[in-house]
Amino acid sequence: MRWSISTGSRMRHLRTSIRKQRRGDPAGLGRGWLTRWLPVFGRPPRQAPAAAPLAAGEATTARRFTLRVIVAAPQLTIPAALLSTVHQVGEALVPVVMGLAIDRGLASGDMRQAGFWLLVLGLNFLMLSLGFRFAALLSTRAVQLTQHRLRSMLSAAVLHTRHRAVRQADGAVLSTTTSDVSGLSLAVTIGVFPVGGLVGIGFIAATLFAIYWPLGVAVAIGAPFAVVAMGALSSPFARSRHRSQTLLAAAVGQATDMVAGYRVIKGVGAEQEATARYRRSSRTALAGAHSSIGALGRYLAGSNAVSGAFVAIMAGLAGWFAVDGRISVGELIAVVGLAQVLLPPLNMLTSETVTWWATAVASGGRILDLLAEPNRSAPPSGPDAHDATLSALPPVEVQLDGDEQIRVEPGELVGVHADDRVAARIVAALLDPAAGEGRVFLDGVPAGRLDEDIYRSQVRVAPHEAVLFSGTIAENLDIPGAPPGLRQAALKAAACDDFATVALGGGDRQVGQNGEQLSGGQRQRVALARALATDAPVLVLHDPTTAVDAVTETAIAGGLREIRNGRSTLLIASSPALLGRCDRVVDLRRATAGVS
Amino acid sequence: MSTSILPIAGAREVWTELRRASHGHRLMIAAAIGLGLLSAGLGLLFPALLGALVDLIDDDAADLGTVVTITVAAVGATIAGAIGTAVTIVLAARAYQSILADLRERLVARAMGLPQGVVERAGTGDLLARAGDDVAQIADAAPRVVPALTSAGFTIVVTLGGMTALDWRYGAALAVTLPVYFLTLRWYLATAPPVYQAERSAMGVRAQHILESLRGRDTVLGFGLGERRHHTVIGASWAVVGHSLRARTVQNMFFGRLNFAEYLGMAGILTAGYLLISAGHSTIGAATTAMLFFLRLFGPINQLLMVVDVLQSALASLGRIVGVIAMPGPGRGDVSGPGAAGRAGQARQISGVADVVVRLRGVTFAYDGEHVLHGVDLSIGAGERLAIVGASGAGKTTLARVLAGIYVPATGSVQRPRNTAMITQESHVFAGTLRENLTLAAPQSSDGDIWTALEATGAAGLLELLPDGLDTALGAAGVELTSAQAQQLALARIMLVDPEMVIMDEATAEAGSSDAGVLDRAAQRVLDGRTGLVIAHRLSQAAACDRIVVMEQGRIAETGTHAELLAADGVYGRLWRASRSGSPAGTGT
Repeated sequence: MRWSISTGSRMRHLRTSIRKQRRGDPAGLGRGWLTRWLPVFGRPPRQAPAAAPLAAGEATTARRFTLRVIVAAPQLTIPAALLSTVHQVGEALVPVVMGLAIDRGLASGDMRQAGFWLLVLGLNFLMLSLGFRFAALLSTRAVQLTQHRLRSMLSAAVLHTRHRAVRQADGAVLSTTTSDVSGLSLAVTIGVFPVGGLVGIGFIAATLFAIYWPLGVAVAIGAPFAVVAMGALSSPFARSRHRSQTLLAAAVGQATDMVAGYRVIKGVGAEQEATARYRRSSRTALAGAHSSIGALGRYLAGSNAVSGAFVAIMAGLAGWFAVDGRISVGELIAVVGLAQVLLPPLNMLTSETVTWWATAVASGGRILDLLAEPNRSAPPSGPDAHDATLSALPPVEVQLDGDEQIRVEPGELVGVHADDRVAARIVAALLDPAAGEGRVFLDGVPAGRLDEDIYRSQVRVAPHEAVLFSGTIAENLDIPGAPPGLRQAALKAAACDDFATVALGGGDRQVGQNGEQLSGGQRQRVALARALATDAPVLVLHDPTTAVDAVTETAIAGGLREIRNGRSTLLIASSPALLGRCDRVVDLRRATAGVS
Repeated sequence: MSTSILPIAGAREVWTELRRASHGHRLMIAAAIGLGLLSAGLGLLFPALLGALVDLIDDDAADLGTVVTITVAAVGATIAGAIGTAVTIVLAARAYQSILADLRERLVARAMGLPQGVVERAGTGDLLARAGDDVAQIADAAPRVVPALTSAGFTIVVTLGGMTALDWRYGAALAVTLPVYFLTLRWYLATAPPVYQAERSAMGVRAQHILESLRGRDTVLGFGLGERRHHTVIGASWAVVGHSLRARTVQNMFFGRLNFAEYLGMAGILTAGYLLISAGHSTIGAATTAMLFFLRLFGPINQLLMVVDVLQSALASLGRIVGVIAMPGPGRGDVSGPGAAGRAGQARQISGVADVVVRLRGVTFAYDGEHVLHGVDLSIGAGERLAIVGASGAGKTTLARVLAGIYVPATGSVQRPRNTAMITQESHVFAGTLRENLTLAAPQSSDGDIWTALEATGAAGLLELLPDGLDTALGAAGVELTSAQAQQLALARIMLVDPEMVIMDEATAEAGSSDAGVLDRAAQRVLDGRTGLVIAHRLSQAAACDRIVVMEQGRIAETGTHAELLAADGVYGRLWRASRSGSPAGTGT
């Protein structure tokens, strides 16, 4: 359902963009005849550039890592900072030019002067607008490239085969690779906008000094006061907003949790209780939101009063000087305008930059944690890696505690009947023989010392949990080294005919997110077909038919035997239908000790 | 599984619902509007006073006393205006927060009360998106939209009024900006939402690929997919970069147009000021005031225009939320589904024959035009355990759902006990404590009841794994249970509900080898003393039942006890022997 909706919108989007392309708007920016000819800057190349990892060793602290991120893309951030400066100076010039235009053009009635200042104002607007836009574009690019670099690093670290003992929960890893990467990359902008803001403030202060030095002194004393007062008001609000957002997220989370368990609630008639529970957490969230909005009100009232009073007092001061004739009317207007544009960059510099930095350091710490997960890849390709000596169909041996062992001779289908714990340890040992979970031998060679690629090309392991990746059935069956010609036979052997036949779209059928377009039984059968399609010399299957009904299971037992003919298969299962078709069954149910 | 989705409310329905939800907050809303206008008016005083000061200085009529008076008045007006604006925002926010809370609660209540068949047809994904994404979307949008509509909107209206009062010709000069603002907004609304949407869905794809790779870590390892998954994730990550830059470009174009409008407005006022002052119709002070008025508008106008697309998508979300709330059907809190105890519905209680509690007569059912059940007749006696066996697609689950009242049959009649619970292989552990999970359907249960239920289902041992006993937090934020443990929990939950009849649809299918035995025993305990319909995927489960029905292609092929069916040597007999011996079986599929 979700898939079909998103596909629909994607199709619509595609159609719109095609229509726009026809009208001569290849960028899809909805540009009309007036602006269509303008170039579009900042479009990234189609292919991702090679993303060099940022240095992150054991000695790297979160602060140092954040600093590294700030200077990670100097070719973009330095020009962006310069352009941001241009923008801030332009913003400061608007009231100055306005004052000059009123003073020299309007007051004097000189048309040439008025026209001249109008032109200057236009040029200033052009300058500040382009300055901001290119600064923003360059800094977005820098942020995005940094995000991509960080995600590449994390993805490589997490998915690297020898790095499988990631101890964090999937949700936490996902949140690190998405929100924390965004949070850390925000640090890139610290090198851009605050720099421009700082120069802009300096420019405003200098202009005020130039107009009349006591005004400059007044600003130098008054502005920091105003900013400190506003900052003090904002922190209780930030805390209470955070609390309220957490409560709201909890309420929303509970609603989705209940809808996710909709069938369970309906199945036991718990609708009333579920509704009542949701109402309670919604009311808690509401109370939190009410108190947070109170804090927002106090903050807004305080900060707007402080900034407004600051501007009004500066205006009064300038008015006094104007009455005394020490500054002109135009200068009075300019001073008021300058006082007004001074506060936003000051505020950004003090509060936002601090928040960015704090967020980035916190996120950076979590990213470093994930990168530093036990990287125990003792180089397997050492001197005793026997990579060339394997035969085409090597015998496999799994050494168990005591004197028990499982041995699969070339071409054998061996069943293993073990309790869950022992079964899980056998699978873990075969999945990652270098981890020391057990002793796996291939052709008599300890598998942990083999080159990993060699081991994986020989031994494929299908874990019990049937995880499919979003895409089509055929894409799921496409495994490195698997012969494409075997797919149809594998689907048939895994009894997928009823939903994956050509008539039903065959292998082109989408499996959906987490395979949710398929039923549990269908998912398990596709996962089995994927394992069978690998045509691996050695295949390990773990309880491949637990979600399949008895009739289908019997069919699978026959198909499995046929398709694995001439290859070695280790089948860990308890189903009599499956074990009955094995050449041999090793019964480990009484084996109290597992693999060491 | 189907294309039909839940309804989306139109503007009228949304408006009616908002009026209803805002009923208790009318006074607050009125106060916010009055105070908002007043504060916006106070905000005009400072530019007006400054303009007056400029004129006085220009006429050499000002002295230090005037300056002090004006400054004090300006500071006072600014502070009063700031406080008034803040109170306006607080009042408006309290009102919308209460309204939103009311809407989300009504949404959940309505969703829980909807007939299950309706939700199943639309897919729970749709409902999930409305209860989660749409509610969050509005909650995120409101703090930006409401202040923009109230304080910024009032400032714009009042300032334009003030400008016209000052001299209508300054107001007229500003009109040159209107076409620019109009065209900018029109372009932005047509262009930006799909661009942002594309960016969000690219992020969704990226998150999905990452999460799938993590969840399937063992699969990635077992099939040597690490390199390939890495490239998929990287490709999805790079796709986001392009979309984000495009979104930035759209925002840049938007700001560029706003800057252009700002310049046009300033130039218009300067030109008008030049012409009016030259003709002696206006003073420099008035021109200064007009200019300061306009400068004051930059922020609010940008604030307002920038939330228009947020407002647009929030309204769309509102339409989806109200669409569910306004769905016709049984009233609030009224329920239909397998677990609905004591409700009047299609399931009449059977009178007369005391022994038979379930009776299906000539039931047919079609799904998307495809016939799944063909005239099924079935009866189950009180306390009887009936197993259904058959290949995938034989119609077992459909039959269970028709019996549970989730599906309404096309023809035929269904009679079943009023108090029926259903459990499927799809288990769900709710975020909350173990106790909360168990008492969901039976809130009055005591700790003693809970312990009894846990022990009966063999889940008491599970508690040893939980640090805080019944108070242990489960679910995403707490202890994650295996699917077998989750199913034990679900079985214990049924024990607490204590229904007359239990329908089990492959309820123990997700277990591994040795867990299966534990779960099967727990399922037996739950069935003790109740009428049961068990869809069996292991034949051992079927053999443990009183009677077995074999289904083939939507029809009942065989029925009888285990011994009878073995003796008859039909489909079931062949399956049984095949599963015991592992010899080839002529399956009926």
